[in-house]
Amino acid sequence: MPGSASVTTGGDSASPIVFIREIIKRYGANTVLDRCSLAAHEGEILTLLGPSGCGKTTLLRCIAGFIQPDGGAISIDGADMAQMPVNRRPVGVVFQSYALFPHLTVAGNVGYGLRMRGVAKSDIAQRVKAALASVSLSGLDDRYPAQLSGGQQQRVAIARVVVLQPRVLLLDEPFNALDAKLRGSMQVELRHLIKQLGLTALFVTHDQEEAMTLSDRIAVMRAGRIEQLDRPDAIYDRPTTAYVADFIGASNTWYSRVDGGLVRLPDGQTVSTTHSGDVKVMVRPHNLVLHRASSERAGSWSGKLVFRRHVGAMMEYEVQLPDGQAIRAVGLHGDQPVEPSPSESVTLAVRNPAACMVFPAA
Amino acid sequence: MTPTALHGPFIDRLLSGRGIWPAVPAIIVLAIVAVIPFMVLLSLGFSDVVSSRGVIISQEFSLRHLKAALSDSLYWTTFRRSIGLAVTTTLLCMLLGFPVAYLYLIGGKWTRRIILVLTIAPILTSGIVRTYAWIVILGGRGVINTTLMQLGLIDQPVRIINTHWAVLIGMVQIHLPIMILPLIAVMTRHDTRLDEASANLGATRLGTLRHVILPLATPGLGTGAALVFTLSYTTFVVPQLLGGGNYLNAATMVFEQVVYALEWNKGAVTAVILMATCLIGLIGIAALTNLATRWTRAGRS
Ligand SMILES: Nc1ncnc2c1ncn2[C@@H]1O[C@H](COP(=O)(O)OP(=O)(O)O)[C@@H](O)[C@H]1O
Ligand SMILES: [Mg+2]
Repeated sequence: MPGSASVTTGGDSASPIVFIREIIKRYGANTVLDRCSLAAHEGEILTLLGPSGCGKTTLLRCIAGFIQPDGGAISIDGADMAQMPVNRRPVGVVFQSYALFPHLTVAGNVGYGLRMRGVAKSDIAQRVKAALASVSLSGLDDRYPAQLSGGQQQRVAIARVVVLQPRVLLLDEPFNALDAKLRGSMQVELRHLIKQLGLTALFVTHDQEEAMTLSDRIAVMRAGRIEQLDRPDAIYDRPTTAYVADFIGASNTWYSRVDGGLVRLPDGQTVSTTHSGDVKVMVRPHNLVLHRASSERAGSWSGKLVFRRHVGAMMEYEVQLPDGQAIRAVGLHGDQPVEPSPSESVTLAVRNPAACMVFPAA
Repeated sequence: MTPTALHGPFIDRLLSGRGIWPAVPAIIVLAIVAVIPFMVLLSLGFSDVVSSRGVIISQEFSLRHLKAALSDSLYWTTFRRSIGLAVTTTLLCMLLGFPVAYLYLIGGKWTRRIILVLTIAPILTSGIVRTYAWIVILGGRGVINTTLMQLGLIDQPVRIINTHWAVLIGMVQIHLPIMILPLIAVMTRHDTRLDEASANLGATRLGTLRHVILPLATPGLGTGAALVFTLSYTTFVVPQLLGGGNYLNAATMVFEQVVYALEWNKGAVTAVILMATCLIGLIGIAALTNLATRWTRAGRS
């Protein structure tokens, strides 16, 4: 039964480097991974994105071999991992809080894997030096992990695995231990580094912005399964389920009925849909335009502006509808001839009805 | 009025928990129960006392008793035996204790509980009771001899009790929990993700044991060794009971000199030598622990 699906040979650029088929992992009555399938291609950064507790870490731990799945198969580079011991899997793990060896120096940590593989001492020194240079940590060889900043520790953790040239890098929320200020720049840096080294990476996070910054593709996870796997922009623009639309980016939601293949939006426009019956309609804030009620384009969808703020070049608005629902809209600063002020009446309109997302109501 | 206003500044500082103040009561108690008897010991061992009918007439500093001790070959053989016994006990406890601690580290919930109970329960029973239990096991009509004879492996009871081996077995059993406890403390704090990282970086189980677990447990081994050495070097219960009264180590020597021979000066000198050599031993263990820490960290494989 195991490994039957992965018959493709190496060299074919389309064949996945990591292939996960219907993995199951249970803890007691709790099914943490529920027939989860996934394929990652050579050289891509694939992010597992999902709320805390959805099974991301468990999936990584199955791939690394720290735990054994209760069902399904994992293959890396075409080789079935079921009987492969942890220390012979071609993966490098960057742990959530790095798990650097506290009793070893930076050089000792980075050289550890080479030492375990019996590489000659002079080679170790050379390769450690090169690895440290690649993460811009040259000169810190003799420091102990406790003497490093969070960002430096993260880079040691990365150098420690990339020095072994693994086929796949597994990173479990590597930015969690860093303060918010540092994260943004480190994310971009990490993406550059992974690309520069030509590595394939499976990256775990619960932070959608982080996923958007780093990923070539994003797998949105929900309760032990992959809900959608696609490029970041596609995940954002064309979510396949309401769960994904809700999890990625902000949206405004309301319920409606399909009538003759069309859904009527509150501003009077219509969207065509293949669904029928009761539906959930979701609209991104930037797909809404807002006008002062006094302007000549006054429509039927109106409310009261309760809050407005600048976010860089953008304007963020919160409008309260007569039924009490709060609607969020975003526009470019300067789009409005006269900015509406809080408590003023405004009208709302959908810019592009085709970009509205329609899902069956739960 | 707040309760603090009732105490003086001394009590206030005592209770505020800063600096050495909270330790002051303990220091006072220690001074009374440890330092004063020690001074008495010193004065007994290093002075000539002339007394008449229990009244001290004159007392002056003297190295007479020490010189007598150092020129007595019985002292040398006894101390050599004591040190040998303590060092062997310590090494055996380390050798037997570390695997138990390792089992505790990799074991599940129940393994851990069982190890903890088996380690702590003996500590809660008196050493004398446990030593008597060994007499029952090792004695001429004891469990081991009876079993061996019933199996037909031997015709005559083998002499185990009252030998060096009986003493050593008892010493290791009595002191093993003292070695295991600090090791378990280390293992409880051990971050198992380090072991996972080690395996992920290519180490075998043995490699992880050697290069991650052992180096991080070395301070615990040092603490355990210091405790076991001190206790086994200065104990007289086990040698007395399992050695059958003819196994002389330094502590039993003090006991005999003071209790049987009533030679207080001799006993005091022996006790001082015992303490001094014990201290030297502890310093040695600390130095060895430092060395071992460095050695286990260095990239030797
Ligand atoms: N060793 C374990 N024993 C029991 N339950 C576990 C264990 N590890 C993880 N779980 C459970 O599995 C679920 C998923 O955990 P995890 O994979 O860590 O989630 P994530 O990384 O997405 O936050 C959680 O509900 C967690 O409680
Ligand atoms: Mg996690």
